[in-house]
Amino acid sequence: MSATTLATVPPLPRRHARVPTLVAVAMAWIVAMLAVALLAETIRPYGITALDLRARLTPPVGFGGTARHLLGTDELGRDVLSRLIVSIRISLLIAFGATVIAATVGTTLGFLAAHFRGWVEQLVLMLIDFQASMPFLILALSVLAFFGNSLPLFVALMGLYGWERHARIARGLAIAANAQGYAAAVRQLGASPLRIYLRHVLPNIASTLIVSATLSFPEVVLLESGLSFLGLGVQPPMTSLGNMVGYGREYLTRAPWILLAPSAAIVLTTLSVSLLGDWLRDRLDPTLT
Amino acid sequence: MLRFLGLRLARAALTIGLVVTFAFVVLRLSGDPALMIMSPEAPAEAIAAFRHAWGLDQPIWAQYLRYFGAILHGELGQSMRDGRPAIQLVAERIPATLAITLPALLVKVGLGIPAGIHAALHRDSLTDRIVMAGAVAGFTVPSFVLGLLLVLLFAVQLGWLPSGGQESWRSAILPVITLGLGGAGILARFTRSAMLEVLGQPYIRTASAKGVPWRAVVRGHALPNAAIPTVTVVGFMVGSLIAGAVVVESVFSWPGVGRLLVVAVANRDLAVVQCILLLVAATMVLSNLIVDLLYGVLDPRLRSQAAAGAH
Repeated sequence: MSATTLATVPPLPRRHARVPTLVAVAMAWIVAMLAVALLAETIRPYGITALDLRARLTPPVGFGGTARHLLGTDELGRDVLSRLIVSIRISLLIAFGATVIAATVGTTLGFLAAHFRGWVEQLVLMLIDFQASMPFLILALSVLAFFGNSLPLFVALMGLYGWERHARIARGLAIAANAQGYAAAVRQLGASPLRIYLRHVLPNIASTLIVSATLSFPEVVLLESGLSFLGLGVQPPMTSLGNMVGYGREYLTRAPWILLAPSAAIVLTTLSVSLLGDWLRDRLDPTLT
Repeated sequence: MLRFLGLRLARAALTIGLVVTFAFVVLRLSGDPALMIMSPEAPAEAIAAFRHAWGLDQPIWAQYLRYFGAILHGELGQSMRDGRPAIQLVAERIPATLAITLPALLVKVGLGIPAGIHAALHRDSLTDRIVMAGAVAGFTVPSFVLGLLLVLLFAVQLGWLPSGGQESWRSAILPVITLGLGGAGILARFTRSAMLEVLGQPYIRTASAKGVPWRAVVRGHALPNAAIPTVTVVGFMVGSLIAGAVVVESVFSWPGVGRLLVVAVANRDLAVVQCILLLVAATMVLSNLIVDLLYGVLDPRLRSQAAAGAH
């Protein structure tokens, strides 16, 4: 008994726990990306559709370019750095929104399954099985084929990614929490189920859910950029990281910088968030996969 | 054992039913296909004829039954663009897709599993670190970025290999490497953590303590027990042989099922999209079924559990 109780309570973080250098670098990169995303409209040097026709396909500084366009320009003379900054903002915004939606939907369904058991639980488990057994990209492509593409629909669709993982975790943890003293105690005091789940169970399992959301965030970034790369995600004149790579692919031989800048941004961001997620998991809940 | 098999078959049929329902709901919620395919200026009679030809003028439940019945008969409709049966269009593309996904699966399994086992057995060694770095890259570098970097290096800079198309077997090398490396990283990570978990179990300590040579402990006790999570991941990879190359096929202009899907989605060719959706569902369900049966072979406990009716 004591062993199981101990296992569910994460050890209190030590106040001066050392953060590994790699994780610290990852955190710095994430903070930088967040700053770029928040300040995008102020720090971008040019508009994303502003043309500089006399400076088309200029290479970046250090490769024969000028300081006017630090990362060079594309075929239409649009500034790559400005487009990169705005793309980071849009890609992160979509991924963040989608992760929040998925965590909310998943946790709600998981709690419903844990609370009602019986056929509700069976239904949720069946949906989880269905979602887990189909490649998400194919489902997403079918929905896009039939509904066409709009930004709200696209975000909602990304918001379905990974809900089944959150639901599975939330259900398991809520069932375990229900069997513990504190939930029973609040129930005996007459708290409503909503209050028990939101005020008592949720704070107790939040750390695990946050880790699981951190782990699925980079996957959403990859999914969004993949779909946008295929031309089926974020549509021009809007821009996103995948969208830029897809456009830059046409100029792979003549102007590889168009494609390399957003590629590096995607890889470094997903890498940083993954490293942070792994580190958080190891500290808070090593049992999570 | 029969009950185990029956339960699994029922679940497989249920998943297929769900996918068919999903396809139907999405199809019908999406609006009037007649107006999407035909131009808005088309005469009303032509639109009515189109609706009648595709059964769009009937009540929704009749359409659903008709749809389900047609699929059970293997009728998946015609491509709304060029009028040929969708299933034929898709079938033509399957060999090209398998020509890159099968070798890529070999790369994934042949590289990923040994690397994962080796890393787990030599934890914190240099190889372990290299394998883990590769595994992280497998998770975080999107396939289109890896593919384009390979094109930039081997096709544009060095000129060794073609950058796309399907002229000779050499065109398949870069797609196979792109698919294989990413998957190998993922598989290595799963195998490594499965092995590490098993190696920490008391029965491993018992076996070593009673004097069984380490090699025999690994082969006889660790590997079979670590096989279950690994088999799950490999099963998912087998299931996505048909549709796992959507992005990579687009990067290399490879004329496979994935490329067809992207074009069909962009053109809103409903019949082709749903045909691919059902094909993917069928392969996924089939490989899940095989994995479930393999569990039964690998772990007798699961067999008796299922027979007792417990989940």
